[in-house]
Amino acid sequence: MAPPDGLTVISQGNPPLLRVEDLSVSYGRQPVVSDVGFEIGRAGSLALIGESGSGKSTIARAVLRLLPRTGRATGRVAFEGREVLGLPERRFRPLRGRAIGFVPQDPGNALNPVRTVGAQGEEAAALLDEPNRARRTALILETFAAVGLDDPRRVYDSYPHQLSGGMLQRVLIGLAILPQPALLVADEPTSALDVTVQKRILDLLSRLREERGIGLLLITHDLAIAAEWADALVVLKDGAVQEAGRTATVFASPASAYARKLHADVPSLNPDRYAASRDVGFRRREADASPKIAVSAVTKTFRVDGRITTAVDGVSFAVPTGTTHALVGESGSGKTTTIRLLLGLEAPDAGSIRVAGHEVAGRTHEALRGVRRQLQLVYQNPFTSLDPTWSVEALVREPLDRYGIGTRAERAEQVRAVLADVGLKAHLLPRRPDALSGGQRQRVAIARALVLKPDVIVLDEPTSALDVSVQADIVEVLLSLQAALGLTYVFVSHDLALVRQLAHSVSVMHRGRIVEGGTVADIFDNPRHAYTAALLDAVPSGIAGRARRAPRTGTGEPLVA
Amino acid sequence: MRHPYLIYAGKRLAQAVAVILLTYLFTFVVVSILPGDPVTNVLRDPQNGFSEEQIQAIIAAQGLDRPLLIQLWTSLTHFLSGDFGLSMRSSRPVATLIAEALPSTLTLASAGLAVALGLAFAVAYGTQFLPGRIGSALRAFPSLFLSVPNFVIGLALIHVFGFQLGLFRVIEPDSAWATLSAAIALGIPISAQIAEVLIANLDHEARQDYAAVARSRGLSPARLFGKHLLKPSSLPVVTVIALTVGELLGGSLVTEAVFGRNGIGSLVQRSAAAQDLPVLQAVVALAALVFVLVNLAADLVYPLLDPRLKLVGNPERRPETADEATPSSLRTVAG
Repeated sequence: MAPPDGLTVISQGNPPLLRVEDLSVSYGRQPVVSDVGFEIGRAGSLALIGESGSGKSTIARAVLRLLPRTGRATGRVAFEGREVLGLPERRFRPLRGRAIGFVPQDPGNALNPVRTVGAQGEEAAALLDEPNRARRTALILETFAAVGLDDPRRVYDSYPHQLSGGMLQRVLIGLAILPQPALLVADEPTSALDVTVQKRILDLLSRLREERGIGLLLITHDLAIAAEWADALVVLKDGAVQEAGRTATVFASPASAYARKLHADVPSLNPDRYAASRDVGFRRREADASPKIAVSAVTKTFRVDGRITTAVDGVSFAVPTGTTHALVGESGSGKTTTIRLLLGLEAPDAGSIRVAGHEVAGRTHEALRGVRRQLQLVYQNPFTSLDPTWSVEALVREPLDRYGIGTRAERAEQVRAVLADVGLKAHLLPRRPDALSGGQRQRVAIARALVLKPDVIVLDEPTSALDVSVQADIVEVLLSLQAALGLTYVFVSHDLALVRQLAHSVSVMHRGRIVEGGTVADIFDNPRHAYTAALLDAVPSGIAGRARRAPRTGTGEPLVA
Repeated sequence: MRHPYLIYAGKRLAQAVAVILLTYLFTFVVVSILPGDPVTNVLRDPQNGFSEEQIQAIIAAQGLDRPLLIQLWTSLTHFLSGDFGLSMRSSRPVATLIAEALPSTLTLASAGLAVALGLAFAVAYGTQFLPGRIGSALRAFPSLFLSVPNFVIGLALIHVFGFQLGLFRVIEPDSAWATLSAAIALGIPISAQIAEVLIANLDHEARQDYAAVARSRGLSPARLFGKHLLKPSSLPVVTVIALTVGELLGGSLVTEAVFGRNGIGSLVQRSAAAQDLPVLQAVVALAALVFVLVNLAADLVYPLLDPRLKLVGNPERRPETADEATPSSLRTVAG
């Protein structure tokens, strides 16, 4: 759909809650947002969707007037009919918190770490017309209870680092709604959280919208989330609107190529997208009886603060050669400890772990050296797992150097070959990680794991730090490598939709135990355990109006018709 | 105060005492090993006219012929009871000499530190919240301050305040205005180091999400600075202060000379010229003591500034569990 030349303004007497027109933002001379327009009515909801760099967060920051100093915004942003973009800071400040609340992306960094939650809550409470401090504190505690925090007093007295991500996000939502704003701007409010927590947080936002009539501007990269929780969508790419309209329309029949691609890249909407390359593994599974990895009755306990915690409790699973086994569960479910045990980074208290017939458990570091070569790891976050001072070539060659494989020339040749395998061109060899995109970095990380020609690759949430489309890209690389080379994957994730696309068998972990295991079809079509069902239910499906949230009329409306 | 904090403070205190004792031992050993015994040098000086018997008698009376370990014990017990012996130059008790000189130096050093802190925080605040050009211009101040030696600043201040404006008379170096001028001369280079760290940290903290979120709650710049940014930015400042104490003391000696103050600086100067070993040894011990105390104070302040610092036991584990922080992690001592 064409960018806004013919603006169709839907006026209903009252001015809309938020109206953005011709908004452009640039950092220095670099334009990042151009001519964006949309409108949100009272208690309406609108989602800005796009990948990193699409300008969606910049728009949110421009509306909140929280752009960094180098940022310049032009155009019109009207709040309740009043132009706010040009207001001097002194006159805009009274609107902050009271009229427009902000829920940030990463709850772990959104509260001052050296002040108590309560002290920061009092700042929000100070915006209310309540002179009595004790009454204000009581209101904070009430709000904490209203956003589903069990022990408001304890939360009030805590420092941020003492609370989990889900609790912090509830605190932040609580602080944002406490001064009773008319509009809440939520910038990826759940991207740092587990699926089940994500669902609860989004449910909470939706409930607040209904009960308190708060309008919602939701920023997200996930089309499924946007479709499920917002009445109207604006799809952005490179700072420009690609498509906009009512959720039902855009989601059911995306008109722009970009929106169609976004739709195709959302795993939950396309469970069988990679069926062709994945079926190779299913056939191997039927043919090959001997498992590449056999974990049986493994237990690991840790002593934390003098108390013994069982991180992994009697875990068993087997992975046939050339297939993918997924470990799914939320943070703290024991997934990470399980793979650390598998990689020989921790020794189990009991049980046995065999990789390609070799016992891993209880071996010394030296004895494991040979096994390690067969067993490689791809980390979660390619933005932190690659040394920024090394070139791509050095990063990928390092494992070969460590194991003293081949001559210099042979190593260089192997590095080139493996980069080609993961779909990277040779001209990237001298680059440093900073000069690569997230997807390229993760490909480098995969190449690094692959260069030793291992049998098994452990993938620790390999796509959770990446955009949906980049994620789809990486999944494709992984599956084609598996089909071609017969690699065995152990895939750790909390994203069940992705697991369904990628894996052949699944173990669902909860509090250190495997509560359910089987083939992907077994688990996803007939979940027997309540926890598995809850995880599946939490996956955003993009189905708008899970009954109680029937679309309203005249609530959120993009300006572009 | 919380129980774990007391345990932590106790441990730090014990470490501090151990460091002081080790420093004393180290100086003692070094002085014993060094060739050219200054005591006998002075006694054998023909001008003093001691006979060999007299020298031996003095050495015996001072216990200098006894085994090293016994000498160490005697000197340590005397040291601990505040008895540093007699000055060889003036024959007055070293403790008295130091007690006379110390207040002047302490006044100057603490006033210098206060000036340094005030200036550093003012400059740092300005870089964050003064509009455009003025803010950026302030960023140049630390390197400017750092590149001017403090005696130059001192001489300039004497010239302006003392001679031009006549705020103080140079022959009365302990008057309030003179002390303030000396403190400014001493404080400016130190403020540069503090400001540099503080500005870098404020820049860092101001970019954090929590600062934007706090602004979205309608906080004014002054409140954002005072309530949110200052405390986390001050942690490294504490480290810098602890490290600049040496400079503060060293700077005091130079500044004292420039302003003609009678402090530890002039005492050291006179004693060094006369090889007055007992005084020098006591001053070294005193400097070590100040260093240890300041670092102890820094260690004790850190946990008060940052609750995330874990005082004892395992490294802090942030609860990553979905929606429930485990009860044990809520009881971690740092909070």
